[in-house]
Amino acid sequence: MSELSVVGKSVPMIDAREKVTGEAKYVSDVKLPGMLYGRILRSPLPHARICSIDTSRAARLPGVKALLTAHDTPKVKFGEVIADEFPLAVDKVRYIGDHVAAVAAVSEDVAEEALELIEVEYDELPVVDDPLKAMDSDAPLVHDVERNIANQMSFSRGDITQGFREADEIIEEYFETSLVHQCYLEPMGSVADYSGGRLNWYLPVHIPSVMRLTYAKTLGVSADAIRVLSPFVGGGFGSKMEYAPHLICALLSKKAGRPVRIVNSRVEEFLATMPRLPMYITLKLGVKRDGKITAKKTKIIADNGAYTHYAPPILSTAAMRADNQFMLENIETEAYLVYTNKMPTSCFRGFGNPQMTFALAQGIDIVAERLGLDPVDVLLRNVVRKGDVTAHGWYMGSCGIDECIQRSTEEAGWKEKRSPRGESVTLPRIDSTGTNEDKRRGIGIATCVHVSGNRSFIKMFEGSSAFIRVGDDGKPLLFTGEVELGQGSRTIFAQIVAEELGLSVDDIRVAMLDTDVSPFGLGAFASRTTTLGGKAVVAAARDLRAKLSVVASDMLEANPHDLQFAGGAVFVKGSPERAVPFVAVATRAVHQKSGSPVIGEGSFTPDNVVIADPQTKFGNISVAYSFGAHVVEVEVDTRTGKVDLINYVAAHDTGKTINPMAAEGQIEGGVAQGLGYALTEEIVIQNGRVLNPTFLDYRLMTPLDLPPIRSIFVESDDPVGPYGAKSLGEPTLIPVAAAIANAIYNAVGVRVKSLPITAEKVRDALRNKGN
Amino acid sequence: MKIDVAFNVNGEEYQLSVEPHRTLLEVLRNELDLTGTKEGCSEGECGACTVLVDGIPVNSCLFLAATANGKQITTIEGLVKNGELHPLQQAFIDQGAVQCGYCTPGMLLTAKALLDIDPAPSDVEIKRAIAGNVCRCTGYVKIIEAIKVAGQQIANGGKA
Repeated sequence: MSELSVVGKSVPMIDAREKVTGEAKYVSDVKLPGMLYGRILRSPLPHARICSIDTSRAARLPGVKALLTAHDTPKVKFGEVIADEFPLAVDKVRYIGDHVAAVAAVSEDVAEEALELIEVEYDELPVVDDPLKAMDSDAPLVHDVERNIANQMSFSRGDITQGFREADEIIEEYFETSLVHQCYLEPMGSVADYSGGRLNWYLPVHIPSVMRLTYAKTLGVSADAIRVLSPFVGGGFGSKMEYAPHLICALLSKKAGRPVRIVNSRVEEFLATMPRLPMYITLKLGVKRDGKITAKKTKIIADNGAYTHYAPPILSTAAMRADNQFMLENIETEAYLVYTNKMPTSCFRGFGNPQMTFALAQGIDIVAERLGLDPVDVLLRNVVRKGDVTAHGWYMGSCGIDECIQRSTEEAGWKEKRSPRGESVTLPRIDSTGTNEDKRRGIGIATCVHVSGNRSFIKMFEGSSAFIRVGDDGKPLLFTGEVELGQGSRTIFAQIVAEELGLSVDDIRVAMLDTDVSPFGLGAFASRTTTLGGKAVVAAARDLRAKLSVVASDMLEANPHDLQFAGGAVFVKGSPERAVPFVAVATRAVHQKSGSPVIGEGSFTPDNVVIADPQTKFGNISVAYSFGAHVVEVEVDTRTGKVDLINYVAAHDTGKTINPMAAEGQIEGGVAQGLGYALTEEIVIQNGRVLNPTFLDYRLMTPLDLPPIRSIFVESDDPVGPYGAKSLGEPTLIPVAAAIANAIYNAVGVRVKSLPITAEKVRDALRNKGN
Repeated sequence: MKIDVAFNVNGEEYQLSVEPHRTLLEVLRNELDLTGTKEGCSEGECGACTVLVDGIPVNSCLFLAATANGKQITTIEGLVKNGELHPLQQAFIDQGAVQCGYCTPGMLLTAKALLDIDPAPSDVEIKRAIAGNVCRCTGYVKIIEAIKVAGQQIANGGKA
């Protein structure tokens, strides 16, 4: 590649101006003529039979325009992997917040009042909210599924017995991860407008094109009867996928014959959306004296909640993904997904990978100490390199994990700061005055691997497509099937178009997704957008360039292959004076075809990925793999257990960083979320009831809690990714909690193996150690 | 029963009859169509709905519209003056302080209130000022940077 002029530059987000002025329209800002306001009656009980629902009083309330119960909804279960949920609960409710009935009214107030007039009689059932207990043979059943096991998997590589036999040291540890919420700032919602026999649907989601198909099936209509439009999306982090209230909104609109808007309250967000799967992980590792891992055995039990969304592939990810950063040979894994009377759990940045990485990266730290080695050396002894194929069949076309480890430790001062100081700590007297003598510093490291797209997740195809339309105004308008959620994909794509056509980013517009116009895109998941979407955009831009070259070659009397696009002009290579403005070429092209726009089309289908075998999970699922190494320094107050964050360094192998400022934003945001996961965030549930459904009681990191975060980019130049680029969005969160746990251990010699690592847990661990 | 109120929003006078329980957020968004102000939690905990009332940042989801009688209110729509972005808005764009954008209007108004008092706040002062405005995307790093840059520009004679 010759020198790049736009790609690789810190270009501001192309939609930032609309956002700083308040012009950007999110779904809650969509207000259509005659629009009604929908509300959902939710179950107050974690597990109960529905004996009767009486909506007659609500129906008589002036202003109520439509009411729905399960009688009015299609009896088609939806669910992407295991279809086990109706739009409104049939016969039984399975968690507090389950959808029971719905109303559309002329105002939010009337809708709210109507909910209070709906009478539901329940017959309470025994509750199970602990996945470990849910697997007991006498546990209450959430669905008619034996031992509440929604899904299970087991697979092995090599010879696990031999692997442990070869080991000089063996450790076995148990870890628990927590139920955490994505806490995107914009609550979930939609606006549905059933008119003219068609459903126009404003859906702020990750996978609009795919959800259109899923929803058409549930609603019993053909896909062409649904048009999905993407408004601005106020954050997603994996969450905004298939969701019963979207369907309820559409059904209310159909029944009322008017547009309907349903937007969650924040409390509804905490009660009845799809937070991250908690996992209960037993990890056994065997290692040689030199740090080489000889065997890894894992058992995972994961909490599915009451209905199945994407938990099966998330569990599969937890079961194997983290392995692929190392050259392991002998692996045995079994994993169980278990129903409970809690909200369904699903995707959240990292997709199962942070859970297992919390265990595995601590496992590395534990074996390193046992062997008297530096964990950095243990990591470097085991990590994959370019060209390797892992035990699970993943091919590493590019790999910068070793460089991530080296540069992050160097930047953080690992050698000077890492010492086995944990050992000597004893608990100071409780009446101590709180001087610095009570505080200990420590430093920890954790690494990760992640995909850039995942062939096995949505199975219809892998790849992406795009087209660029240029009219006589000469301004390219890009249509892509991929989705902007705030991560900056429109800006990245605009940079690519500008690069390929020799224009500036200001010249490029990127359309919001509209399924009537845009390509079918799989959407924003598996950190696939830049790599796969970007490849398609490159192809579309090159197609457009080729078409415009033909026109320009006439204008310049030159061979189309001798033309170059740069600086807003098309010119003959080596003769910059023989040039025509890009706009003039576009205008000529459009006029030659009596006004038809010039369309550049492009698609990208990776040829080296497969759907992993459903049983063995073996296969190269992604076009490229990304890596990261995080090093964090903490200071622990030995009296209170409080952990202060001193310094954070995050190195990521991005392949090629297309927009450093946006990429830093991904790292800083992902690390901040990961720190919340590590230290403070948890949805606390007792007897099926959420005890902390507010931002006051669900503690996010504030700017005062966060350390300085330094980003390092390792550019391993992937052979497939656009300009060498790979994924970044999800990896930024994956190693954080493990790095924190390792740093705390290094500081005070106690290891808290359950998330979140609260001050109380650290203090209790210190007391137990002191005794 | 409704209550008559008169207040000024972004330089324009409004006379309205509002129900006593109506919040300022609801009136701004639903009656005046000023949808730049966002609702994130409706419990005063996330700051997405922040507007300035007589120059002081308030959570408009907790602020009853009736109590805004006689007040000067600034919303995100009032930050652009004569077609020019406020230095904070420009700095948020330039420094990459905007991702999904949902917290941005409230964050900008909180930052404006801070810089109106002191255009050269310390890092800790900035962090304290925005601690009530949740941003889930950025980790706050670039927001803090943008506020500093805007403050410098204002101190150097840029328009506030």
